[in-house]
Amino acid sequence: MTLGDGVKAAALLFVAAVAQVSIFSGIHVFGAVPDVLLVTLVALALLRGSVAGAVGGFFAGLLVDTATLGTLGLTSLVLTLGGYWIGRYGETTGRDRAHAPFLSVAVVTVLYQLGLLVVHFVLGESAPAGAVARSLLPAIVLNLILTAPIYALVRRLLRPVARDELTAEVQLLG
Amino acid sequence: MIVVGLVIVALALITISFRSPTAGALHDIQGAGSTALRPFEIAANRVAQPFRDAYDYFRGLANAKDDNKKLRREIAALRAKDIHRAALAAQVPALLRLLHFEQGSRFPSGYSVVNTAVLTPPGGPFAHSLAIDAGSSAGVRLDSPVVDGAGLVGIVSNVFPETASVTLLTDPDSFVAAVDLKTGVRGMVHTGPGGTLILDQVGKQFRVNAGDKLVTAGTHTARYPDLYPYGIPIGTVSSVSATDTATYLQVQVQPFANLGSASAVGVLVTKKPHR
Repeated sequence: MTLGDGVKAAALLFVAAVAQVSIFSGIHVFGAVPDVLLVTLVALALLRGSVAGAVGGFFAGLLVDTATLGTLGLTSLVLTLGGYWIGRYGETTGRDRAHAPFLSVAVVTVLYQLGLLVVHFVLGESAPAGAVARSLLPAIVLNLILTAPIYALVRRLLRPVARDELTAEVQLLG
Repeated sequence: MIVVGLVIVALALITISFRSPTAGALHDIQGAGSTALRPFEIAANRVAQPFRDAYDYFRGLANAKDDNKKLRREIAALRAKDIHRAALAAQVPALLRLLHFEQGSRFPSGYSVVNTAVLTPPGGPFAHSLAIDAGSSAGVRLDSPVVDGAGLVGIVSNVFPETASVTLLTDPDSFVAAVDLKTGVRGMVHTGPGGTLILDQVGKQFRVNAGDKLVTAGTHTARYPDLYPYGIPIGTVSSVSATDTATYLQVQVQPFANLGSASAVGVLVTKKPHR
């Protein structure tokens, strides 16, 4: 990842985080909130790999926790793991597949919500499993609607890198 | 390795933030970060405002006919009530004096209001708090009640120099002593099963009716002061039921305040120097 790419990725995540906490968090559809930050992070991780996904997720989560005056590190933890996991998927089986962004967004939306649920539960905070379960399907649909335009925008800003660059860290067994 | 390091840092941040949520260096850094992000959030809100206005305009047009019919019915009902209230109004000064005497509180004279915008509305089922654009520099204090134009929103749970965090009525840890204006029955408003607001601890021998208005009960005795002054509207009783096995009535409450998407709120700050 070049310095220019890093600056672009940081700017993208910053704008997405600010838009998420200021605008999108106020849009409630059937109990779900569209997550423009999560979709942007998925696009970034798919295009730039697991390390970029994890680092981007960490700092984006930190921005969200700071802006919402929430428990620092909570969103960072979940987004770091989510960004890393999607990055690995993009580096391996998900590469060059047209459905990869949509599949990733659908899966990571579920894992993100469940991850937050677990962390909140562990911290002894409110962990409304029923409400989360009811909002999962609308959240997936809303995020899938956002996927195509956001992925296209991120792909336009961050051109896909060469395949061997992405797979440099993958170890083949056997 | 980078990922492991980031996870460890995140866990350390959670630990520090969780152990000292209202004080310490991390709290100050978070406050400074929040202040730094504020202009960007305001800018984002301003950019989004025309789109919100357009959406509200078209939604308003779509609902205009229904609203018109509904409002005409309400006007007819209010006209009838107005005559009745005019007669009652003559008794108000005497009742007010009596009420002040019985309550022993001076609300609202004991409070001043800090009106402010909502920076981040609650997003998602986990969020039972919102961030507001006023902090200790504007006079906001911890445990100050927060209202919108319609009723009680929650209470200030964390204060930074330029911002503050408000815990909503719907938070599982929120408990508000309430009184039924019609019957005088007292109870505790908090979140019940399924995330709905309920009026709890109302014995089955008491009478609460659907449609009754609830307000904050305020302080009973000076020894145990309530965080909420008397008379802040909370909501309307939407349903009342009782079972043979339950000790209390099951009273569901529909809040007056728009808890999901309030855009501006007022913080009621006591004029007393220390609470």
